[in-house]
Amino acid sequence: MAIKRLFVANRGEIAVRIIRTAKKLGIETVIGVSQGDIGTLAAEMADRAVVIGPAASAKSYLDVNLVVHAAKATGCDALHPGYGFLSEKPELCRLCEKEGLIFVGPRAESIETLGDKLAARALAIESGVKTVPGTDHIANVEDAKVAADKLGYPVVMKASAGGGGRGMFKANSAAELKASFEKASREAETAFGDNRLYIERFVERARHVEVQIVGDGEGNVVHFGERDCTVQRRYQKLIEEAPATAVPDDVRKRLHAAAIQLTSHAKYRNAGTVEFLYDVDRVDFYFIEVNSRIQVEHPVSEEISGEDLIAFQLRVAAGEGLGITQDQIKLSGHAIECRINAEDPYNQFLPSPGRIKGWQPPTGEGVRLDTHARENYLVPPFYDSMIGKLIVWGKDRDQAIERMLKAIAEFRLDGLKTTLPLSAYIINTQDFRDNHITTRWLEDKGLPAFETTLE
Amino acid sequence: MAIKADEIAKIVELFYESKWKEMHIEVAGMQLFLSTDPNARLTNNAMVTTAAASSVMQPVDSSAVPAPQTSTPAPAAAEKPAAPEQVSANWEAITAPNLGTFYRSPKPGAAPYVEIGQSVTIDTEICLIEVMKLFTSLKAGANGVIRQICVADGDMVEAGQPLFYIERV
Repeated sequence: MAIKRLFVANRGEIAVRIIRTAKKLGIETVIGVSQGDIGTLAAEMADRAVVIGPAASAKSYLDVNLVVHAAKATGCDALHPGYGFLSEKPELCRLCEKEGLIFVGPRAESIETLGDKLAARALAIESGVKTVPGTDHIANVEDAKVAADKLGYPVVMKASAGGGGRGMFKANSAAELKASFEKASREAETAFGDNRLYIERFVERARHVEVQIVGDGEGNVVHFGERDCTVQRRYQKLIEEAPATAVPDDVRKRLHAAAIQLTSHAKYRNAGTVEFLYDVDRVDFYFIEVNSRIQVEHPVSEEISGEDLIAFQLRVAAGEGLGITQDQIKLSGHAIECRINAEDPYNQFLPSPGRIKGWQPPTGEGVRLDTHARENYLVPPFYDSMIGKLIVWGKDRDQAIERMLKAIAEFRLDGLKTTLPLSAYIINTQDFRDNHITTRWLEDKGLPAFETTLE
Repeated sequence: MAIKADEIAKIVELFYESKWKEMHIEVAGMQLFLSTDPNARLTNNAMVTTAAASSVMQPVDSSAVPAPQTSTPAPAAAEKPAAPEQVSANWEAITAPNLGTFYRSPKPGAAPYVEIGQSVTIDTEICLIEVMKLFTSLKAGANGVIRQICVADGDMVEAGQPLFYIERV
C-alpha cells in the first residue's frame, strides 16, 4: 500500500470505521480531534491524536487549512475526509493535491461537477441516464397541455426560480391542468417575482434507491449492488437496506448499468453513490444525484458483498486500481441498518445529548454495530446526533427483519433517548414487512401510527 | 550591575546562531538559561519555584466540554505542559487557540516577541501561530510577567496546549 500514514479528518463512528480498516491494512493513523472530542474512542484507537481546534466545527473539523496543516505536521501522506464536514469540499481536495497529500476521495473537478445539481443532470443526460422527465419553460396553458400529455399524468408545475416546495402545483388530469397552471404562475410571481414555470412528471409513489460504486479514476467502475433508503423523515434516512427487493430484478440490473455508465463516463475515482428515484407505479427510475463520498449506510452493501469499501477507497486513492472485477463481487443475503440518533422520537425528535450510563449492545449471528459510543461516553451537543448504526445480515429479508428486532430488543442503552424504539416499530409494521412503503410513508402513515402507541 | 535587555537580546541571537545546545550565564545575581531543547529546565534555580501547581494545570482549555472520563488519553494527546514542579501555583497558562506552528519571533532571525521575565500587557503580542502559511499573532491576554516558555520555535502546537506561563500583576 502506497499510503503509510493516514490523517483522519473526521470524528465519531466513521473515524472509528476508517481507523479499523487502516489498521487492518498496516497503515498508521493520525486523527485530528476538536477539544470536544479529546479522549474519544477514535482518538484512542488512532496511533496519534492531535487536537486541532475548539469544539465548534467551524474552527476545527470544517477548517480546510487546519486539517491539512495538521496532516502535514504529523507526517501523514494521505487524508481521509469521512462523510459530512469537508468530505465534499473541492477546496480540501485541491489543497491536498497542492501539498502532496493523497486525498482519499474523488478529483476536485468530479466533486464540482457532481455537487452542482444542474451540472450533474447534464452529465447524466450526456451519459444516457434518465432524469425525471420534464420540460423547459412553459409559456401558456396550451403549451402546458401538450407537454403534460406527452409526460403523462400526474404532472407537477414548478416555478423556475423556486425551491423548497414553494410554487409547486400538481395536476392529476388534463381537467385540473388549467387551474393548477394559473395558481402556480400566480404564486411564482408573488413569491419569486418571476412567473416562469416548467413541468415535470410527478412521481406519486417513490422509493429512494441508490447504487454503491467504486471507480478507479480511469473509467473502470464496479458496483456492489443497490440500497433502498425509502424510510426517511424530512429527507433524513433512518433505515437502509440492501438489496432493494421491492424493485424487480431486471430493473435493478438496469439501475446498476446506469450507475456504472454515468460514473465511468465521468472517470470517477473513489467510492460513490448514484441516487435514483424509483417510480413504483411506472416501474421506472430517474437519476437524482451522485454522492462523491463514503456514505453513512455503506455497511449494508459491505454485509451483502463481504467487501470492505473503505479499503477500496484507500486502494483507488493510492492509485492501485480496483483489484477486483465485477464478476468477483458476489452479493448474497439481506442487510438492514438502523441509524441510532440521540433524539427523542416520543417528543418531536428533540436532540438528546448527554452521558451514556448503561451500554450493553446486542450480539449474535449477523449483528454488527458501527459506533464510537460506549459506557460513560458523553454525547456532545456540538455535532450530528448520530451515535452509531446497528446493522444485521440475514439469509433473506425476513430473517434480517427478525434479527434486527431481536437486536434492538437486546440493546440496553441508558442515559439518553434514541431513535431505536421507532426503528423497531417501523420494521415491525405490516407495511414494512410487506415492503409497501414509499418515501412519504413514514411522515404520512408511520409516524402518526407510532404516536398513537404512546400514552 | 545588571544586564540590559538589548544585551540579552544579543546573547540570545548569538546562541541562536551557534551550534550550542545550552547556555547558562550568571551575572550580578541574575541567571540566564538558554537551550534548544524545549523540555530542558534549569535545575537548582532559586528563581524557579517548586511549588505544586495542580490548579494551573487545569486551565488548558476553559471552553472545552468535559471529555469522556472512561479512558486514558490518546498517546501523544494534547497537553504537553511543563513538569508540574516547575510551574508555580500562581502562574497561568497561555494556550494555543488551535493547532499550528509556533513561532517566537515575527520573522526568522528577528528577536523573539517576549523573553522570560518580561512584563507584558493584555495586548502584547507574544508569538505567532502559523496554519498553512497564514500567520496569526497571539496576545498575552493579561497583564503580568512571562515566567515560562513551554514550546520551542518552529514546533507544532495543538489546540489548548500551554505555550507560556504568565504571572499576573
